[in-house]
Amino acid sequence: MAVDPVADAGRTKWSLTQAAFDGLLDSLGPDRDAAASRYLEIRRNLVRLFEWRGCATPDDYADETLNRCARKIGEGDEIRDLATYSIGVARMLLREMSRDRSREARPLDEAPEPRAPAVDVAAGSVVHLECLRRCLAELSPENRTLILNYYQGEKGEKIKNRKSLTAMFGIPANTLRMRALRVRERLQLCAANCIERPKGNRV
Amino acid sequence: MRSERVDEMLLVRYLLGELTEEEQVRVEDRAFESRDYLGALDAAEADLIDAYVRGELTHEQRRAFEPRFLVSPQRRSKVEFAKALAQVSDEAKAAKIPAMQPRQGWSALLALFRGWSPALQFAAGMAALLCVAGGIWVMSQNAAMRAQMAAVDSQQQQLRLQIEQERKRADTLAAQIPKQQPSASPPAPSVPSVALLVLSPGLSRGDNRVERLVVSPAMQIAHIDVQLEARDYYPSFKAELRTRGGQEILTRSSLTRHRAGAAYAISLDVPATALTAGEYELALKGIAAGGPAEDIGFYYFRVQKQ
Repeated sequence: MAVDPVADAGRTKWSLTQAAFDGLLDSLGPDRDAAASRYLEIRRNLVRLFEWRGCATPDDYADETLNRCARKIGEGDEIRDLATYSIGVARMLLREMSRDRSREARPLDEAPEPRAPAVDVAAGSVVHLECLRRCLAELSPENRTLILNYYQGEKGEKIKNRKSLTAMFGIPANTLRMRALRVRERLQLCAANCIERPKGNRV
Repeated sequence: MRSERVDEMLLVRYLLGELTEEEQVRVEDRAFESRDYLGALDAAEADLIDAYVRGELTHEQRRAFEPRFLVSPQRRSKVEFAKALAQVSDEAKAAKIPAMQPRQGWSALLALFRGWSPALQFAAGMAALLCVAGGIWVMSQNAAMRAQMAAVDSQQQQLRLQIEQERKRADTLAAQIPKQQPSASPPAPSVPSVALLVLSPGLSRGDNRVERLVVSPAMQIAHIDVQLEARDYYPSFKAELRTRGGQEILTRSSLTRHRAGAAYAISLDVPATALTAGEYELALKGIAAGGPAEDIGFYYFRVQKQ
């Protein structure tokens, strides 16, 4: 049994054991590889959910959610759809988080002004810019044109740019939007990997 | 069209935390059910972040945006990325985006050069000369650096050879263990079988040396030892394991270093089921008391399934 009786008494924090983790994976199906992929997908969705709700440490909250699910399974609860169940647990955690916040709440008048003013576009850090330029150079010319034009300019100009791009690529606006988003995500991942590497290794 | 517009506004309000709990739940459930809706939500988020970095949000929107987008590292990095993208795309616009221009070849370049004044032509000629000289200098520096790298590579080769010999010795010893057990003895109680991987710092811990971790179906846990350098002294460490494609596998915080021979190391156990065949990156960060996480190094390894 994965559950620590001391933790049951609420005195110490329950922590995930190998047996509890195995139980969690078992609840996702008999094929271990498929269960592991499903587990990672559920965790990704949980991180997303906590991020959308403005949580400061989405990864930690996603892990805590999965720990609670594993604990329930270890206690003998049958969970038929872990994905849906975990979202429910996550929302409970969010309510706890919100209760904790409201304890520290202050009237709006006393709240500080936004911590950062509207960011100066020219303020992109040198490392970010260096990495982004490297990653842009790795894109196909078509994708580079798309990403640079899709996100270029301010409100009215941006709309005009996007119209020109739908005409240029001959695809509907929604398809263009999704394509631009995918290129943006790929570019962001590439830039993040580049930034994380020590300077001499940013190739 | 109308419903799309309304939906778009709903997504923006969701992202700014302006919806009721019930409305939030509806948006989230729909996003998890439909890939298209999830994509629309991601796109709305990207547009909202862009609007923020370009200063296009109202004061109220900015007030709602900042506590939600500047708190988590993931979202802060999205904002940083949007800043850089805005700058680069504006620069491209200023340069009339060469990628959008039809390529005209050398003839266009020559025609442009001929159109310049003699003084400008002379300056351009000098600049080209400087570029050539700079190129030669860079090449010579490169050659010297390659020679240094070759020397370090040779040292590393020797170390790898030693590790391989140790591994072989361990395998031989492991193979002898069953032979020493009496044949009639009952089967040993099942203990989790463990795959061991030692990651050591190289010339740069971001270098491209790739260690190998062989995971058999019987393996349950991959035990990873990350060797530290003497200067890596932090009260605690954080390890982030992801695929080379950037897909996150797991994060372990509050790791502490322990003695490993003459040096120090941190250890972490990864469920073998979380590791599929492929290449992985382990990012190690040191956490100073009350300070932010500092990058220590990146270690790479390949998982092979038996």
